[in-house]
Amino acid sequence: MTDLLQFLVAGLKSGAIYALVALGFTIVYAATGAINFAQGEFYMLGGMFGVWLAAFDLPLPVAVVCAVALTALIGALFEYAAVRPLGSGDPLRIIMVTIGGSIVLRQAALHVFGPNEKALALFTPGPSLNFFGASIERQTLWVWALTAAAVLALAVVYRSTAFGLAMRATSLNRDAARLVGVNAAFMVTASFALAAGLGALGGLVVAPLTQTAFDVGAGVGVKGFSAAILGGLGNPIAAVGGGLVLGLLESLTAGYLHPLYKDAVAIVVLLGVLFFRPQGLLGLRGKEKV
Amino acid sequence: MVAQTVRRAAPFAAACMVLVGPFLIENRFLLKVFTFVGLNVLVVVGLAILFGYAGQVSLGHAAFVGIGAYTCAILTTRHDVEWILAFGAAGLAAALGGFLLALPSLRLKGHYLAMATLGFGELATLVFVEAEHVTGGVDGFAGIPFPSIGAFEFREPSALYWLVWGVVGVVLVLAANMTRLRPGRAMRALHGSELGAMASGVDVVGVKVRSFVMSSALAGLSGALYASVVGFISPSVFTVGASVTFLAMTVIGGTGSLAGPLAAAALLTLLQYVDALIPGVSRQTALFIQSYQADVYGLAIILVVILSPKGIAGLFRRVRDGVRP
Repeated sequence: MTDLLQFLVAGLKSGAIYALVALGFTIVYAATGAINFAQGEFYMLGGMFGVWLAAFDLPLPVAVVCAVALTALIGALFEYAAVRPLGSGDPLRIIMVTIGGSIVLRQAALHVFGPNEKALALFTPGPSLNFFGASIERQTLWVWALTAAAVLALAVVYRSTAFGLAMRATSLNRDAARLVGVNAAFMVTASFALAAGLGALGGLVVAPLTQTAFDVGAGVGVKGFSAAILGGLGNPIAAVGGGLVLGLLESLTAGYLHPLYKDAVAIVVLLGVLFFRPQGLLGLRGKEKV
Repeated sequence: MVAQTVRRAAPFAAACMVLVGPFLIENRFLLKVFTFVGLNVLVVVGLAILFGYAGQVSLGHAAFVGIGAYTCAILTTRHDVEWILAFGAAGLAAALGGFLLALPSLRLKGHYLAMATLGFGELATLVFVEAEHVTGGVDGFAGIPFPSIGAFEFREPSALYWLVWGVVGVVLVLAANMTRLRPGRAMRALHGSELGAMASGVDVVGVKVRSFVMSSALAGLSGALYASVVGFISPSVFTVGASVTFLAMTVIGGTGSLAGPLAAAALLTLLQYVDALIPGVSRQTALFIQSYQADVYGLAIILVVILSPKGIAGLFRRVRDGVRP
């Protein structure tokens, strides 16, 4: 029983991270209709910037906020420089550009920060908490708290601000949004910035537990995408749910089968969902079939 | 008229150049480099069909190269299978893997295949490393015998060169015929407009799955040849990084063409060994190029997609047809 509880805690911890990355995929997909292959690299950049800024003796909260802002800025610049010139064209071209971008970002991180693994300090050091026999690291509470805060903030922005309304309008119909005066091109840039910031937050908050390196992006990207597909691509609530479910599936697999099988879960989930329920667990039936 | 003659003659000229290679090249290392060019060309031809004709992206082809390499290595060393049978089995194993991956990913519109292949590539590296009793783990798999057909063993570098380029030649002839005929037209149609292709009676899903299976089989054959030529394989060769290299060669080479990707694969492979090819270029320069080559591939993909989405082949066609770029 304690084992199960411990696995659930671990699953919800990584699940929250996948949820943040999945949200990034969902936001960019809603704005462009394309999958952003650089999403995992934003997660990597968040952690790396955090470590880099913390080395300047900045207080940790300042370093964290600056790292998120910097990554969001890079997301916006990337969109402006590489995605915007394509116009609202073929999603394949946007995908290719983000693949190229992911390579460039990963290599840039390698050249600037070096090939070694790096660790960020714990946000609040201290002994683990005991919860009915399962131990919960304090950092895990930070993971949950910051993920919940980000999701709530996003929901408020989307529901009740003019900016959120413009974002939703752009994702529903770009041309119609432009006709009523929404700056659709800016909304796409904003969606990349937002996705990058969310990814960076995930990379930052988990970096004290898992360490980070220049090459962690692709793996997390695949998992975040599987989570987004599991929920139903394009639906933010479903993306969060998909992330948590994927995290739980991984940790139960690692706990009850074998830790080695953990990394296979995401790809099996991805292929399984695509084969049996392409609209995702929460999606409507019959969408997006050929 | 002249253009047509050139067009017909060019493949023959290229074939002759490849054929006489071993007579002109004394250096055994250089001969090996040109053999590696052939191995990369084999993978890129498959990707050129997948990307340039069927409009699909793979970020995991190095995994299929790996499946082919390990299949061939295990069958020839542990089960004493004839090389030629192991070679065929390697292609089949990779094709089967490709089929299992492609069927779920390609039933849908959109580009799920790209992400599925990326995940598959990461997973494959993990399996190659962790399944130690089968693959030898990180230490690799040594002692793979040379290719042989009957009693003849391809031992000499020149024999290996001819074997690899012989396979490349056969594959190129088949691929060129296929892209010109009905399957190629179906692929081009669905690259243009999926809906239009479907309306014209093209089995869209079938064409996509078949082109993916074909490209993974070619990657598997390339892997089997690699294992037998080098005699040693390890997981570090079959990474997502290698997949990205193959994809970059294909994208830079261009869509709707076999010659473009072929040329890009050859030139970009040779670039890594520039110090051995051009006298006066130092080893440092080559190492510098190698450490920044992924950056260049990433930037090149972005620039090609923005500036000339049809790649080198598209540029060449525009110049040839006299349309100002």
